[in-house]
Amino acid sequence: MSARDDIIAAVREGLKRGQGGALPRRAPAEIRAEAAALLAGLDEIRPSLVTPDPVEAFIQKCANPALGVTLDRVAGWAALPQAVTGYLDRHELPHRLAVSGDPRLSALGPGIETHAPCAPDEAAAISIASWGVAETGSVVIHSAPDQPILNAMLPRHWLVVVEAAKILPFLDDYATFASLRPRNAVLITGSSGTTDIEGYFVRGAHGPGFVHVLLIG
Amino acid sequence: MGAPEKSENFKQRAHDALADPNLKTAIERTTGTAETKRAAAIGAFPEFQAARVRGAAIKDHVIANLDHYLIEFERNATEAGAHVHWARDAKEAAAIVTRICTEAEAKIVTRAKSMLGEEIGLPHALEDAGIERVETDLAEHIIQLAHERPSHIIWPAMHRTREDVAELFFKDHQPPPDADDPASMVASARRVLREKFMAADVGISGANFLVADTGATCTVTNEGNAELSTTPPRIHIVTAGIEKLVPSTDHAMALLRLLVRSATGGEVTQYTTFHCGPKRVGDADGPEEMHIVLVDNGRSRMVGDEFRQMLRCIRCGACMNHCVVYRQIGGHAYGGTYPGPMGAVLTPVLDGLAASRDLPHACTLNGRCEEVCPVRIPLKTLLKAWRVRSWDSQQEVGAVRMGLGIWGFAARRPRLYHFGTRLALPVMRLFGKGGWIRKMPLAGGWTETRDLPKPAARSFMSQHAKYGNGGPK
Ligand code: SF4
Repeated sequence: MSARDDIIAAVREGLKRGQGGALPRRAPAEIRAEAAALLAGLDEIRPSLVTPDPVEAFIQKCANPALGVTLDRVAGWAALPQAVTGYLDRHELPHRLAVSGDPRLSALGPGIETHAPCAPDEAAAISIASWGVAETGSVVIHSAPDQPILNAMLPRHWLVVVEAAKILPFLDDYATFASLRPRNAVLITGSSGTTDIEGYFVRGAHGPGFVHVLLIG
Repeated sequence: MGAPEKSENFKQRAHDALADPNLKTAIERTTGTAETKRAAAIGAFPEFQAARVRGAAIKDHVIANLDHYLIEFERNATEAGAHVHWARDAKEAAAIVTRICTEAEAKIVTRAKSMLGEEIGLPHALEDAGIERVETDLAEHIIQLAHERPSHIIWPAMHRTREDVAELFFKDHQPPPDADDPASMVASARRVLREKFMAADVGISGANFLVADTGATCTVTNEGNAELSTTPPRIHIVTAGIEKLVPSTDHAMALLRLLVRSATGGEVTQYTTFHCGPKRVGDADGPEEMHIVLVDNGRSRMVGDEFRQMLRCIRCGACMNHCVVYRQIGGHAYGGTYPGPMGAVLTPVLDGLAASRDLPHACTLNGRCEEVCPVRIPLKTLLKAWRVRSWDSQQEVGAVRMGLGIWGFAARRPRLYHFGTRLALPVMRLFGKGGWIRKMPLAGGWTETRDLPKPAARSFMSQHAKYGNGGPK
């Protein structure tokens, strides 16, 4: 027998033993229904939002110093270049960014030089997140031709744009979109960090040490 | 990497650990912080108890339908383009991974921390196959330089002080760190490992969850090393225990809330990533091949007995952070892959009871572990179950059986028992100084590495006889 058959047979054997000698054969639909019932009444098993309005809750979460995130509210896409240069200037960075193929980023404005791909030691890169999550202050990116995962991982400063209309209240609200099944779905919450040396918290372990959220709208 | 110690000789290792004051300091710093942060996170999550009950129910549901979920996961992962492999035991699993690496002519392999990888002996297997293995989790990087095994499932280098790390990095990093403060050392590791991430041929990760209805595997990290290990290389290999399944992403989220709070006191990790098959046509980055190795290694056996409940474990580490024994002796003393209370339950499954019978006994049964366990594993009960099996299978040595026999005889005869204690206590008091006994004949095993509290001036029984239930007026 193949390892696969052996393992499945051993699991069934175990289930039989554990359930008094008979393996209750249940239809997949029944199993699915039981699984779904385990998620009934989500509000009883998840924290409530810091404030009922998801966008406001998201902003408040991002203000938590533990996350290591800064956030700017940007009036609209047209105001994005100005917000970006503002951030780069505050950090005394050149007006130079790694971007993806997303047309909304390649034309950030005359004063900003954009390029691809992101270099291993890139100073700053910018991505557009598909969603934000108010519960945790996370942003979500799905890998795609115009969404390189490495742009979110390699730079020292990662700028991420998210539209206020795309802020979801809870992690569970994002889970619905998992059915899109991208190769990579990454929920990013704050900047990279480690506590591996005597528990000291140090930012910028492997991923970005600085994360700046540009909240549009 | 030193040869993994077997779980035999626990007493010797525990003795050595107790005699090492630096070890105790190092452990106390990290577990102390972890305990405080977890308490704060749970305090801010009033729904925690209800969430725990549900978390346990989700895992129980998965285990009760494990065959169904394994097949569903396999189907969906395959449909997404991943190759699913099955391994009956550790050896088979390590062989599958090394075969994929050698067939791909891999020279450098990056690894994102996975306890299952340790369990199947992957570090050794890769080295034996002549493949350069690069541990990318900072703590794993530290212990790789020190040729050690992890001593904790969340903080593998918990036993190393900052000075130790500085010494290792100054010796190994080219160029060396700018200074010996944690920030400079982390920056140095970032520099050194960045080159490896980009040069690796294969990236290996574990999985915190296997999502049945999408076929995705999920990793959680704070450093971002999993994403950097799995995106640039040509091949991504996942090794995961078969108990990691969850029905859907929604179920993963419910467990994620429990996992992160219990592990580090955060609400979510900085990076929570779902990996579903290899790079798609036109994708900007990602591996061309994805392999998933589903590992049994004793788990299917657990499905059929009381240890089934241990398959709920989401590897958060809270039980060890709150364990009085772990906090005294650290992780290495346990000898197996997994330390602390959960390790004491799992190691006899993995290494056999004969080789690890001391572990279930190295427990005060104070129950802190199961109070904090986010999926309500009755660790105390399971440890007791191993003790019973150990006793029944005559694993206990003659002296222990005899000692317990004598104690049992006396305990059933209260007069004899009280006579014995009346004789022994005054003698013990003679050896006490300032409330503690530092040395006493026949008690060397205890007093060599710690003091014994001096018995109270009057025993409880004698005071009770004098004052009755009300106590002294
Ligand atoms: S046994 Fe419970 S507390 Fe211990 S690691 Fe597993 S889930 Fe966490």
